Amino acid sequence: MKEPTIVGFLCNWCSYEGADRAGDARLEYPANIRTVRVMCSGRVEPEFVLHAFREGASGVLILGCHPGDCHYKMGNYKARRRISLLKKTLEQLGIEPERVRLDWVAAGEGERFAKVANEMADTIKGLGPLELS
Amino acid sequence: MTGATIQAKNGVNGAVSAVLKSLKDSGCVDAVLVPTRVKSGETFVYLLIRNPKMLDSCAPLPPVMPVQGARALQSLTRHGKVEQTVLCVMRPCEVRASIELAKRRQVDLENVLFMSLDCPGALRTRDYVNDPEALDKRYQGILNNWEGDGLRPTCETCVHFSCEDVPVDLHVGLVGTKEEEAVIIGVSKRGEELLDKAGIECSEDVSAWQVEVEKARDKKAGNRSKVVSELKDKAAGMDNLGLLFADCINCHNCMRVCPICYCRQCFFDSSDQVRLRAEDYFAKAQARGGIRFPGDMMQFHLGRIYHMGLSCVGCGACEDGCPMDVPVSQVFAFAGDEVQKTFDYVPGRSTDEPIPTLTYEEDELHEYEDA
Ligand code: SF4
Ligand code: SF4
Ligand code: FES
Repeated sequence: MKEPTIVGFLCNWCSYEGADRAGDARLEYPANIRTVRVMCSGRVEPEFVLHAFREGASGVLILGCHPGDCHYKMGNYKARRRISLLKKTLEQLGIEPERVRLDWVAAGEGERFAKVANEMADTIKGLGPLELS
Repeated sequence: MTGATIQAKNGVNGAVSAVLKSLKDSGCVDAVLVPTRVKSGETFVYLLIRNPKMLDSCAPLPPVMPVQGARALQSLTRHGKVEQTVLCVMRPCEVRASIELAKRRQVDLENVLFMSLDCPGALRTRDYVNDPEALDKRYQGILNNWEGDGLRPTCETCVHFSCEDVPVDLHVGLVGTKEEEAVIIGVSKRGEELLDKAGIECSEDVSAWQVEVEKARDKKAGNRSKVVSELKDKAAGMDNLGLLFADCINCHNCMRVCPICYCRQCFFDSSDQVRLRAEDYFAKAQARGGIRFPGDMMQFHLGRIYHMGLSCVGCGACEDGCPMDVPVSQVFAFAGDEVQKTFDYVPGRSTDEPIPTLTYEEDELHEYEDA
């Protein structure tokens, strides 16, 4: 069976670079992660997450700069509020909150990116596909 | 807390309209925004009243809530603050929704005063328009006994039916007061001044009423935890949610009548524009066996629960407006209670409490990050 799709929203200033670094170092990470570059984790509205689910994603990864390092100072703090609210809402509605993962990956952290991506792929594989709509 | 007893021989509405008249006559209130029965008799609308004579026929506590009062106030202050003093007479959930809208800059509270009443709930609007006379009688019974059939389901579980945690200026207490009597209380400083200027002396002790409010609240809180735990089995999980919303016809009425949903262009209306190409749908249908069209029903409801869960005041407007009897507001209560607890947020309690998604702390919520 096809691996369930994961959409990854990656902040331009840190995590996207981190993913690049992982690529340069030829670290392996799962092919079913589709990355979308955003300017900041704070740009990721939870609506995007729901939209990704609707279009067939089974998991969504949101990666930003480590707290304190956001290029726009507070984008990732705000993202944490919104994503926490989304995860809490999903949990209460009986949809596994692990389908949404918020994590921090710095520009130089290629290995960390690969680790997070692999863990996410395992989690979603374990949960199976999400059938929204 | 102190207050004044008012005589309600002609019912609550008559008693309160007399108070409104003296407030208007005293000159401290320029206009009153208050529900009033339409001429044909079968429903109620909000009127902005300047002519004191028209206050004779107003209905401060109508049996139904066809328009959520926050919406009325929103359209009055759409272009900013009002220059004259307006007293808004509303149910507690309507005041709370107004506060939530004010935090979103959709309502301007300058020169706006609020009066609320102990609310036993609202009857279903559709039932009411079918037989206003019978339902008027039924509502009178509900007012006397503080219970009865046909209320909005969410009203049965509402713990904010009085003035605690509701930032009003004036409040009319009804629970457990003697029949044909009510108490009026100046809750805020401005409220006290208003009553003083209108010559209504508030020196009576109202602790007996407060005790009754507590009792009634305990009962409603019990109803609420019962309903929420029942919904746990019915609503949790994608399959259950699908069943719960199975009858939904995608009319989006629930969104349009919600007092807090204010966006002029809803993300979930426009999101359907971002469709996949047909071949992608075929691929999806192939993978799942079949897919529902249009495909945005669940996204719409989940999105609204995410957007509104924190601020939902539990007025039940969504459910009242739903043509298919989808238990929308009950699902909102089920999800909303939990997220409100997480952020220690009580919607509509105070304009000083920021909406949790518009603020943050640097060191918090680590349980939701995976780092
Ligand atoms: S979601 Fe429903 S119950 Fe909640 S505030 Fe909006 S209309 Fe009222
Ligand atoms: S009002 Fe009822 S039928 Fe219409 S969109 Fe809302 S839940 Fe669906
Ligand atoms: S710029 Fe990376 S999280 Fe804000």
